[in-house]
Amino acid sequence: MQDKNKLTGTPISRIDGIAKVTGKATYSTDFPVKNLAYAVLFKSTIAAGTIRTIDTTAAEKAPGVLAVITHTNAPKLNVNGGIRGGALLQSPEIEFYGQHIGLVVAETFEQARHATHLINVTYDKKEPKADFEKLAKDATLPKDKEKADAKRGDVKAALRDAEFKVEEVYETPIEHHHPLEPHATIAEWNGDRVTLYNSSQIVNGAQSAAANTLNIKPEQVRIITPYIGGGFGSKGGQWANLVLTAVAAKQVNRPVKLALTRQQMVNSVGLRQRNHQKVSLAATKDGKLTALAHEITTHGAIKEEFVEPCGDCSKVMYAVPNSLITYRAVPMNVILPTYTRGPGKSTGSFALESAMDELAYALKMDPIELRIKNEPERDPSNGKPWSSRKAVDCLQVGAKAFGWEKRKAEPRQNQQGNYLVGYGVASGTYPAHQRPTSAIVRLKRTANDVMATVELAAADLGTGTYTILTQTAADALGLPLRNVKVVIGDSDLPPAAGSVGSVGASSYANAVNDACQKITDELLTRSGKQFFARPTASQLMMSEKLTDFQTRIDAKPLESAEDYSAHSFNANFAEVAVNRFTGMVRVNRFLAVTGAGTILNPKTARSQIIGGNIWGIGMALTEESVLDPRWGNFVTRSFADYHVPANLDIGNMEAIFIREDDQKANTLGVKGIGEVGIVGVAAAVANAIFNATGKRVRELPITPDKLL
Amino acid sequence: MDVNETPDLSDDEKKLFEDLMPEDLDEILDTGVNRRHFLKLVTLAGGGILAAQSAVAEQLFTRPLNVPAAAELSSATIENGVNVSLNVNGAARKLLVDSRMTLLDTLRERLELTGSKKGCDHGQCGACTVIVDGQRVLSCLTLAASCEGKSVKTIEGLAKGTVLHPMQEAFLKHDGFQCGFCTPGQICSAVALMDEAKRGDASYVTEDVRKKTAPVQLSTEEIRERMSGNLCRCGAYPNIVAAIQEVHSGKPVEQTFRFSA
Amino acid sequence: MRPFTYSRANDPASATKELAGNPNARFLAGGTNLIDLMKEDVERPSAIVDISGLRLTEIKPIAAGSAKGGLSIGGLGKNTDAANHPLIRQNYPLLTQAILAGASGQIRNMATNGGNLLQRTRCPYFYEVAMPCNKREPGSGCGALEGVNRLHAIFGASEKCVAVYPSDMAIALAALDAVVKVKNAGGQERSIPFADFHRLPGDTPERDTNLAHGELITAIDLPPNKFAGKSYYLKVRDRASYAFALISVAAGLEMDRSDGSGTKIVQARIAMGGVAHKPWRALKAEQFLAGKEATVENFKRAADAEMVDAKPLEHNKFKVELGSRSIVLALQMAMNGGKA
Repeated sequence: MQDKNKLTGTPISRIDGIAKVTGKATYSTDFPVKNLAYAVLFKSTIAAGTIRTIDTTAAEKAPGVLAVITHTNAPKLNVNGGIRGGALLQSPEIEFYGQHIGLVVAETFEQARHATHLINVTYDKKEPKADFEKLAKDATLPKDKEKADAKRGDVKAALRDAEFKVEEVYETPIEHHHPLEPHATIAEWNGDRVTLYNSSQIVNGAQSAAANTLNIKPEQVRIITPYIGGGFGSKGGQWANLVLTAVAAKQVNRPVKLALTRQQMVNSVGLRQRNHQKVSLAATKDGKLTALAHEITTHGAIKEEFVEPCGDCSKVMYAVPNSLITYRAVPMNVILPTYTRGPGKSTGSFALESAMDELAYALKMDPIELRIKNEPERDPSNGKPWSSRKAVDCLQVGAKAFGWEKRKAEPRQNQQGNYLVGYGVASGTYPAHQRPTSAIVRLKRTANDVMATVELAAADLGTGTYTILTQTAADALGLPLRNVKVVIGDSDLPPAAGSVGSVGASSYANAVNDACQKITDELLTRSGKQFFARPTASQLMMSEKLTDFQTRIDAKPLESAEDYSAHSFNANFAEVAVNRFTGMVRVNRFLAVTGAGTILNPKTARSQIIGGNIWGIGMALTEESVLDPRWGNFVTRSFADYHVPANLDIGNMEAIFIREDDQKANTLGVKGIGEVGIVGVAAAVANAIFNATGKRVRELPITPDKLL
Repeated sequence: MDVNETPDLSDDEKKLFEDLMPEDLDEILDTGVNRRHFLKLVTLAGGGILAAQSAVAEQLFTRPLNVPAAAELSSATIENGVNVSLNVNGAARKLLVDSRMTLLDTLRERLELTGSKKGCDHGQCGACTVIVDGQRVLSCLTLAASCEGKSVKTIEGLAKGTVLHPMQEAFLKHDGFQCGFCTPGQICSAVALMDEAKRGDASYVTEDVRKKTAPVQLSTEEIRERMSGNLCRCGAYPNIVAAIQEVHSGKPVEQTFRFSA
Repeated sequence: MRPFTYSRANDPASATKELAGNPNARFLAGGTNLIDLMKEDVERPSAIVDISGLRLTEIKPIAAGSAKGGLSIGGLGKNTDAANHPLIRQNYPLLTQAILAGASGQIRNMATNGGNLLQRTRCPYFYEVAMPCNKREPGSGCGALEGVNRLHAIFGASEKCVAVYPSDMAIALAALDAVVKVKNAGGQERSIPFADFHRLPGDTPERDTNLAHGELITAIDLPPNKFAGKSYYLKVRDRASYAFALISVAAGLEMDRSDGSGTKIVQARIAMGGVAHKPWRALKAEQFLAGKEATVENFKRAADAEMVDAKPLEHNKFKVELGSRSIVLALQMAMNGGKA
């Protein structure tokens, strides 16, 4: 429960907001590094084969060109150093269309870009594996042990004997993260140490990947990333462009700036892979689930595997005695798939929660009632007790707030002018974890004013890290907000977890809180005094007449957290209007009710949830990366072709948080909200479209042509 | 930071700031209906106060607002050079540019004005939006060479010293951004939109374009359509619309985050 | 972007002269498509003649000639100014809606009326230089014909090219029977009826229009019409805004009574976007509607009359049904006074 005297839990405006609204926030390419040279990458125009010849003569002679780097002259790099997706210019082999095959460095960006058009490449071309529909039949069990077949009971028998069942296939396309800030780096060498201004969701991960790949020590690499222009998973792992910038800077002995173009983003920094998901549900006539099978077929890159966990929601959402979750994957000539907002859960919940809606319709049962009937008392996948689970609360609170009772059970019953209106609901979940994180707190007193500086290599990609840590430290130290300075986004700071997988807020805030408690304890010990009420660090600095004091903590998750299954839960409610002539869909209203433990800042948290919802609406209605299987290229390589939602696509968005005190998950009870906001959204929209039109679309995105 | 250094705070505001959390906060958050207190709260947590409360902000605003000289390039590196004189944020600038150089790259790479962002470089995202001769345009599709005699306003030119433009204040208050990368373009676009509304310009969602009234009161739907040229991948659209609606209407717009017990 | 010389034209005569002397020179007006294509290395001019400063921006009534009583809009006027001009809003709301359906506020502030007509296709095979495209590189083949062609043409395509023309403004201009006024380096002017301005791909998809190199669009003339109160521009797209059309329909209905109470159609104007290499006048539908009652049933039959000739590709079969429905809806919206 929020303490009325605390700053945490209050809707403070973003600490970094002024920098952002004035244009002063420095993203990777905004640092005023002097004497910059500019690099532009060039890419393969085949998806499989080898480079036969690469003629860089004309490019090298072009005005302003300082260097052309290809596999023929690139320094030896460690391809297993932790950079994702290969493309490090180490061999002539081509594994996907648009693989980096070189870069030009020039005095100006215009000169470098122009010179990339002067490169002549010949290839020995192989037939690309780029047609998932044809390849899917060859999919095999992934190497990842997490993706082994998970069986409980006898699904086959339960399906055979079912009174009611749903067996359907749900398709989701390749998607791209497309953060508004394309991946970009400035590399500046100083002796044998390189500074890399580079957007990094995992600051220390970027540091070690760069160092290992460059065959130097981590302490020779400094990552600076105070502001990140969105990441959504694509700036979690690091990609070749980071290291190649450092290579270029070394080569020309000058700082180098390299930014991917928007078109290059589609084959440089990962993607969310195509998923084919078969969901089978069996139930009794009163709605008790007897079987749940979720069989996933997907693809990886040609040599590397990445399989997003589409079955995760199916593992934990419902009490069901017979369960089967399987994964199969096939190699494809595409850039390595990677974590993409709500990895697995967002796409997997589309399949599961659409199937639940189909089952409810078959049972003639309210879909909320069906879900509540199958609420599990413990985590069905491992038998652990929940640290706390608010799935039912989310549904019930949401139903009331949304006006669910106005929904017609039968589709096509609500026509308003040219529009068919429908309501949909879907649940979602995302696991809550805390990861080891270190932090330093420094206190400095001038007269009666105590200033605190909190330092850790955390990241803020718009998630609110600066703000929630300022609030957390201010509370823990007894200081006003203005006396706390949070410094993050620099690998020279104490190592911290990444801002990925919804672990950022819990890992960072708990570490900062622990550090502040520790510094208070140390000051208390130092004072040697006994107090009735625990004084604040600030009071102790004054009473002890100290001018400087600091401490460091290496915070770890609670050991007891392992005894519980800790998740955030949500319920999503959508009202859609479908133009009955054109099939254009508009989400008029959307409500997400979320139980995600302690909400450190409801203003930034609401933004995170709504942002996730909007991602989910994009997934439901507009986003699709289309491959031409003949060449393996994406024909949707710009924002004109790949439709992220625009402002007019979004109607009224509302977020409600369930009050939840979950100290079994971690000390502060913070469970993370970055991912859960997208989970269940696409299903809620698709279910609403069914309710509006009577058309069940099982293939995303639901573009107008699918509703004619 | 000494509070006395903060020009924007009245004594009353200081008092309010000290009591940042009113007693009835929980009630407000639970019900979302106590509008007066709620607005007081979010206003307090808004821009003007933040400038005083945040050490980060303090650093930002103590950085001198100098106008750097245009980054010098040897003329050898400039191909098909074009001399351009233009006015940027009130200052006359004169420079020799490669004919291929866009206004966006000129601002960012030559004039140290990195607020305008390159999100797509092809006119498909709006992150590079600046205001040229009073109109919002895309600096990524504008050749610098074509800007002779023009007047350019960027995000860096909106605030007057430490006093934010009302649109900047409103974006802060309504959390009209997350990562912040599209924000300069969104704000420039929104600022210019206010003038378009005053002129009575129509949009595709205007019910009857034959009826021309100036100024035009923009509905949320109108704001959404007119701001659709600025993509926000974080999904801050509802907050952006609220911020713009507040500035446009001159009336406080409520935020709707809620808790349920 | 290849290196190019840049010059600012001071008057139309010097601009056209400069272009005429260099087949590889291009006019730069709003730049919203040309600069985009130059960055993609699709357009590779060696010289840019900046005509954005020329004063061909006026919007004025036409006092004489066949379009007497109509309106002339300057070729270098901005899209925003055309859309919001009081006379256009009042007398040509179809044009206002079409312009405002396209692109974004920022782009409409930059784009010119003449430049809008010269937009090149958004076909992804045209845009990516590594792909075959007869429009970009004659003889290289058509990537879309057997490739991803969901967004491509259903009318008037050829084996050489199945691209569609992306403008919204031009679809309304086609319905309005506009006339494009052009001037060449010799100072000769000519008027091109809108239907003859854009081309079908045939064997020369590299030519989008019948404009000769160096000809400058000085103005677009709009003849008077009798359907300002009964017109609508409908745009169907994959995203609510800031997206190119799957299908668009510009519809205008001249009725037997001018006070809005008419029920019988004297003349219908219907043009479609997103279906062909040029604005597609739905002449068969128009013909069907002439003299008919304005009923949904008649709208449907008119739409069917037009769409029966559609020749869809593998991925765009939906455009036939969507086209038909869009014609019906646009006509209904037009009957409803063009209210959004």
